Amino acid sequence: MTDTPAAAGSGRAPGRAEPGLIHRNDLMATLNRAAQKPVTIISAPAGTGKTSLLRAWADQPGQDCLIAFMTVRPGQHDMQLFWLTMLGAVRAAAGTGEGGAELPPVTPGSSNSAMVEKVLSELEESCDRLVLVIDDLHELSSPEAAGQLTALLTRLPPGVRAIVATRRDLPLRLHKLRLAGDLAEIRAAQLRFTEQEARQLLAAAGIALPEHMASMLHQRTEGWAAGLRLAALSLAGHPDPERFVAEFSGSDRTVAEYLMAEMLERQPPEVQRLLLRTSVLDRVNGELADLLTGATGSERILLDLEDANAFVVSLDPGRTWFRYHRMFGGLLRLELRRTMPADIARLHQLAARWLAEHGQAADAIGHLQAAGNWDEAARMLTDHSLSLTLDGQAGTVAALLRSFPARTGEDSPDLSLVRAIADQYQLRLDQTDAHLREVRVSVATTPPARRHRLQMAIASVDLLSARLRGHFDSIFEQAGALLCPGDGQTNADAVLSSDLKAVALLNLGVTEAWSLRLADSERHLLEGAALACRIGRPYLEVACLAHLGFASTSRSFAMARQRCEEAIMVAARYGWDAEAVIAPALAALANALIWTGQFDLAEHWLDRARRATQADGEPGIRLLVCLTSAILQAARGHGHRALEEFAAARHMQALMVGEHGLTTRVNAWTIATQARLGMARQARAALAALDGRQASAGEIRNAAAVILLAEQNPAAARRELRVVLDGDVPVLSYLTQVEAHLLDALACRDLGDERASQEAAEQALNLAEPDRLILPFAMTGAWQLLETVPRHGTSHAALVTDILDAIRGPRRGGLNQPAMMPVEELSRSELRVLRYLPTNLTRREIAGELSVSPHTVDSHIRRIYAKLGAADRASAVQRGRELRLLSVGRT
Amino acid sequence: MWFHLPARDHVVMDWAPALYMIRVDGHLGAMALSAFPGMTPQQKGTHTVLTGWLDQSALYGVLAEMEALGLGLLEVRQLELPGKSLKSGDTRSP
Repeated sequence: MTDTPAAAGSGRAPGRAEPGLIHRNDLMATLNRAAQKPVTIISAPAGTGKTSLLRAWADQPGQDCLIAFMTVRPGQHDMQLFWLTMLGAVRAAAGTGEGGAELPPVTPGSSNSAMVEKVLSELEESCDRLVLVIDDLHELSSPEAAGQLTALLTRLPPGVRAIVATRRDLPLRLHKLRLAGDLAEIRAAQLRFTEQEARQLLAAAGIALPEHMASMLHQRTEGWAAGLRLAALSLAGHPDPERFVAEFSGSDRTVAEYLMAEMLERQPPEVQRLLLRTSVLDRVNGELADLLTGATGSERILLDLEDANAFVVSLDPGRTWFRYHRMFGGLLRLELRRTMPADIARLHQLAARWLAEHGQAADAIGHLQAAGNWDEAARMLTDHSLSLTLDGQAGTVAALLRSFPARTGEDSPDLSLVRAIADQYQLRLDQTDAHLREVRVSVATTPPARRHRLQMAIASVDLLSARLRGHFDSIFEQAGALLCPGDGQTNADAVLSSDLKAVALLNLGVTEAWSLRLADSERHLLEGAALACRIGRPYLEVACLAHLGFASTSRSFAMARQRCEEAIMVAARYGWDAEAVIAPALAALANALIWTGQFDLAEHWLDRARRATQADGEPGIRLLVCLTSAILQAARGHGHRALEEFAAARHMQALMVGEHGLTTRVNAWTIATQARLGMARQARAALAALDGRQASAGEIRNAAAVILLAEQNPAAARRELRVVLDGDVPVLSYLTQVEAHLLDALACRDLGDERASQEAAEQALNLAEPDRLILPFAMTGAWQLLETVPRHGTSHAALVTDILDAIRGPRRGGLNQPAMMPVEELSRSELRVLRYLPTNLTRREIAGELSVSPHTVDSHIRRIYAKLGAADRASAVQRGRELRLLSVGRT
Repeated sequence: MWFHLPARDHVVMDWAPALYMIRVDGHLGAMALSAFPGMTPQQKGTHTVLTGWLDQSALYGVLAEMEALGLGLLEVRQLELPGKSLKSGDTRSP
């Protein structure tokens, strides 16, 4: 994680009025009027005083709104970091930031539309007098920016308003707001200083000019705010202000350049030196400025400059970080380039080293590039690209990559690994492979100190590609190389290597899971989760935990279920309970619930799994989702719908290079379902299409027995099942044996041997009891045999009751009818609270999760009970479940 | 600022450079002109005219720089395509 200063993105918190600025009462009135509307856009060029206006507005006496103030930092390429900055500003303003509620961590690869929803919901909770102020919005450069900002601005909750400042009009689709009269705009003409205001500005700076001279100055600057401020800085203490104005007015030079040069000339040499040399930085603090100027006392100079209103602003309440007004900084850089061109590269180099030492890799790489130090920039980007991607800065990595000069041959820096990671992030796997081949070639010439990490990086990228392609066989041999500890690592190296290793363990564990090497999978996922937790990568931790439930099914469904629920709870803590990262746990939970007969509850989790699964996501997880949907349909007796879902699962298999471990089940159950639906011919054809290895699997023998039963040949069916029951053919798990016993019971019944049929069913119950399995009884239709079994004739009476209840429906009596009754609709906030009620969190803990007060949660819960007609938490959950209100995404 | 802009020679565009003239308000001095090293300045009245061969991404880079410096942009015109002059009266817009 980058150790970004408070300055990262938020602007200086309002509260310290800028000195030397005048009260522009008319303009303030204009903004006050505008700000009555939900959205105000201030669109005007550089130096027209947008930022000063926003700050003065925020600080004006009697300001009774809560103000969330943020400034977009230059070249912000990553939407997620933008939204997190906004969330931080909103929480700071609403007072919900202190004492807990940390900002959610980034979600690598997320679409970010979830972040917009999160911001909107926190805005709704915050307060009804909150104003969101976004300065320098034009600095945001991401393809998703316009769409997501439009979504925010057009859906602001009542009582929340937004003021946005930008240098140029942005492609925000706000015409609906405009038509509704909900949009106010302030443009350059309104920001222009009147002559009267220009005089006041000069007077406030202690400059006495004759009236006609002040008028000349106003005319020459055309009321341009930056021009007037620069003039005031030059005129303060000027020996001959009148001559200054006369010369300025006589000049045709551009206002900014003329006044900038004049202003600089009037500064003491150490101030000039500091301004010019630190202009290469986006943000500066005393230490960095000392480093770049080779002097001491820079912090004092920066503080004095801010106090003198000299285009320097502090970014944090402690006034340790500063930035220059953008246009001022641009002019300073030009002057630096003109007067000390030879020093520029060294300044960037110094800045890069300091930033690298302080954990700000992306900024450091930018400075290395500016220094023309392409080799070191490439090396550093190679080392950090995975970590930056995990930090949510994939957009920045892509932008840094674009900033390298076009490749010109062998002496150009080697960026293959970065390109591989960037392409993989965009799911361009063939390009990823091509770059990776180049990386492999370079391993031999890599110094030993870096070689281990490079190899780990190769393996890590490889494993993910294999996982995304479903290429399961290719990768297990690589695992060993990863897991040997690196030696002679520096601390920084260990951290970077840990990122790689955690990613590698995750991808290895997932691939093993889909290959049904469940014990290995479990071990690697647990190791990956522990490592991710240790190095502060919650996203990787959740990703590992999300697959752990499936990997645990070989132990018991109870354990699988427990691990899925734990993973989902951890994910919810970070706001990821609807993200793709948790989909495996949602699907595996639904799967476990179906096996144990809780079909309605399973459907709820399956819906969530479907919504969280990306349409173009990894095929392995999509296959699990399809298969789970299919068995739910089959369990409910909807054979045709089940067939459709099985077909979708086979389609997923077709997208993979290797064979998913569950494919045997998909094939077997497809054949069995076809046979049960009277499609014996298709079933036979599907069976014949399997190769010898596939056909010898126990699951397929069971399916063949189903065909024979449908063909009314129970004796042949029993022969087919014999090899499964005797353990002569490979089976995926004991579940296959349970199924075989049940099919055997059906065959015996068809043969008229009731006693043998009951014995076979009893065998199945024996095996099913520990996990309390219900699904095989539903899918095979063997549950009907249990209806006639006297309860005293089985040692599994309770299980038999559960099976019959789950399949025939519970005791009649009113669960369905009240579910249809209309209830007063729950508000969005109430729904959010409701969704925490099935957890074991206390009200206080729920309040913590939602960053609201316990009192708010209490009043929500009271209203929830009233609206649902519930007496307590359990009945509210029950009602919520019946009404399908517990699923996320309904709002 | 500029080190956030993509390197100009890397962005592949279909169009070859064309000759552009850009008119801005005021006389640009050495400081401002150093932002446009590839363009030839000329003072015309109270304006400055910058002329140079630019491809599309370079053109947008120049315009962004002008925006950053707060220059008043008055006119942008394409004068010549590679290998052929535009006849006067040509209606091709910049």
